[in-house]
Amino acid sequence: MYELAYDLIIILLKIFAILIPLMTAVAYLTYAERRLIGFMQVRIGPNRVGFFGFRMFGLGQPIADAVKLMFKEIVMPAEANRYLFVIAPILAIAPALAAWAVVPFGDGLVLADINAGLLYILALTSLGVYGVIIAGWASNSKYAFLGAMRSAAQIVSYEIAMGFALVGVLMAAHSLNLREIVLQQSGGFWHWYWLPLLPLFMVYLISGVAETNRAPFDVAEGESEIVAGFHVEYSGMLFAVFFLAEYANIILISMLTVLMFWGGWLSPFEGIPLLGAATAWIPGIFWLVMKTFFFMFCFLWFRATFPRYRYDQIMRLGWKVLIPVTIVWLVVLAVAIVAKLPPWFG
Amino acid sequence: MLENYLPILVFIGIGIAFGIGPIVIGAIMGPHRPDEAKTSPYECGFEAFEDSRMTFDVRYYLVAILFIIFDLEIAFLFPWAIVMNEMGWFGFTSMMIFLGILVIGFIYEWKKGALEWE
Amino acid sequence: MGFEKIIFYFFAAILVVSALRVITVRNTVHAALFLVLAFFTTAALWLMLEAEFLAMTLVLVYVGAVMVLFLFVVMMLDIDVSVLRAGFTRYLPVGATVAVVVIIEMSYFLLGGFDNSKFTPVKHGVEYSNTRAIGNVLYTDYLFVFEIAAVILLLAIVAAISLTLRKRKDTRYQTPGNQVKVRKSDRIRIVKDMDTES
Repeated sequence: MYELAYDLIIILLKIFAILIPLMTAVAYLTYAERRLIGFMQVRIGPNRVGFFGFRMFGLGQPIADAVKLMFKEIVMPAEANRYLFVIAPILAIAPALAAWAVVPFGDGLVLADINAGLLYILALTSLGVYGVIIAGWASNSKYAFLGAMRSAAQIVSYEIAMGFALVGVLMAAHSLNLREIVLQQSGGFWHWYWLPLLPLFMVYLISGVAETNRAPFDVAEGESEIVAGFHVEYSGMLFAVFFLAEYANIILISMLTVLMFWGGWLSPFEGIPLLGAATAWIPGIFWLVMKTFFFMFCFLWFRATFPRYRYDQIMRLGWKVLIPVTIVWLVVLAVAIVAKLPPWFG
Repeated sequence: MLENYLPILVFIGIGIAFGIGPIVIGAIMGPHRPDEAKTSPYECGFEAFEDSRMTFDVRYYLVAILFIIFDLEIAFLFPWAIVMNEMGWFGFTSMMIFLGILVIGFIYEWKKGALEWE
Repeated sequence: MGFEKIIFYFFAAILVVSALRVITVRNTVHAALFLVLAFFTTAALWLMLEAEFLAMTLVLVYVGAVMVLFLFVVMMLDIDVSVLRAGFTRYLPVGATVAVVVIIEMSYFLLGGFDNSKFTPVKHGVEYSNTRAIGNVLYTDYLFVFEIAAVILLLAIVAAISLTLRKRKDTRYQTPGNQVKVRKSDRIRIVKDMDTES
């Protein structure tokens, strides 16, 4: 019994070692988003709130936001379904966080090294849609309901393309375990899966943006037509939890993209004569975080760059472009693997 | 194998707690002054016209049904993907027949216009 | 009682309670959500039997896909409870017959000596991959069944489309291909401004 308690404490400590940096990253992703989009639009962005009287480029902003939201009233709309109204944000954030249990941060640096890691992540991300549907229905508001239904149809459509893209990764790596998927890519920059699986990588990234309801696929929010979509009736901390879930999902998708297509924690200079040896001392987690930051930046960049798609365009892209592309590439990949085509599958 | 899943169970628990925690804090710290205008469903300042839970275009059901079918297809592809390199051309052919049959279905729904949104 | 058993009974209790709630609760949306919970705990129980792949697929397909459709339907169809209740007595004989048959079947197996040793799950090491084991037999030994599954799925696609797809005359389609192909010269014509010229 003591052994079990000891194990549980270790597990809890590890979980917090994942969650605390994650939550800090989420908080500062919101700040980075406002600053970066500000710069891209030749504005300044939030630059006032600092610590102890110093402005420090507005770095105190996310903390101030969190404190503000804490003291805001949670408005419960009349005729809303009270239980479901409160449960919806919990259903949104729990899978977004629990998926991190199988994410490896280095060789052996993983909380739960399960064999079905990728399947687990796909299963959990498929639960994310419940938060949206339930929120929209429980609010008993037309805008929320419209937003929820649109966004649910969008999420499920892109989940198919995403699943097909993952199948491609599995075919190349012969494993569902994320650690092994990364290790299969070792051998330098040109061995990472982005090159042999380039179409699948593009599909995964695009459907990742669509799954998280980010611009340009943010018709779920679509402030010009349905105000804020499924969370229009949410306020205070209930809203904050949805917000946290969205940003935790962005970071998750970015990191999964890196793990599956960009070599995870592997160094980009591996195998290069001088540079490889000179940078060998840098720990893998540095590369992992740097690559993840790049894709997080892409999410913000997309938002600043692309205008929102129309709904029929979104459905068309998901069903008529992404799914055929993935199916064709799966067949090509299958031939390449069975025929042991060099250089990647030799 | 099961011992690997213990952290996941704990993590799911923590994830749920992470959802409940802020809501409880918010409920305690925030004020509670509901009034009729505040709690009425938001509709651009108008009174709500009708019940918000309306019937929807059947197209949404179609998307959901097609999603189930393709999701099942993906579930079939997963075990194949990780053993296909060991099975050689035999495994390849069996999956290509499977995929071929489903691609026929996909082409059918495309031609029928089930993927169109107006 | 080991830790594993405690967890098993925990999930089993949730499963039984939520399954009961599915049929006792009034609100159809609540019932659907309890069914989601029931599926989820079933997946946890399967996982405890080391059926990783099946457990994950249960969550992926049933919770992630089938129940989403259920929710779509019960949320949007405006189901009138009183109409449903009116049919209750009419369908009662059929329902009761099915229930009795199921009870007889189950008791036949359960009372006829449940050989527990036959069903004790085999414990596998950390390296064991359930998915790989399934993959090794599904596409070779069970090839025929597997292809039949494809045909059933094809049938489902055709059935779903013929049941739900109705073309309305007044709908207008956009052809995105043509929209992309539009050039400036198709839409605008530059004319000389007469006023400034003179």
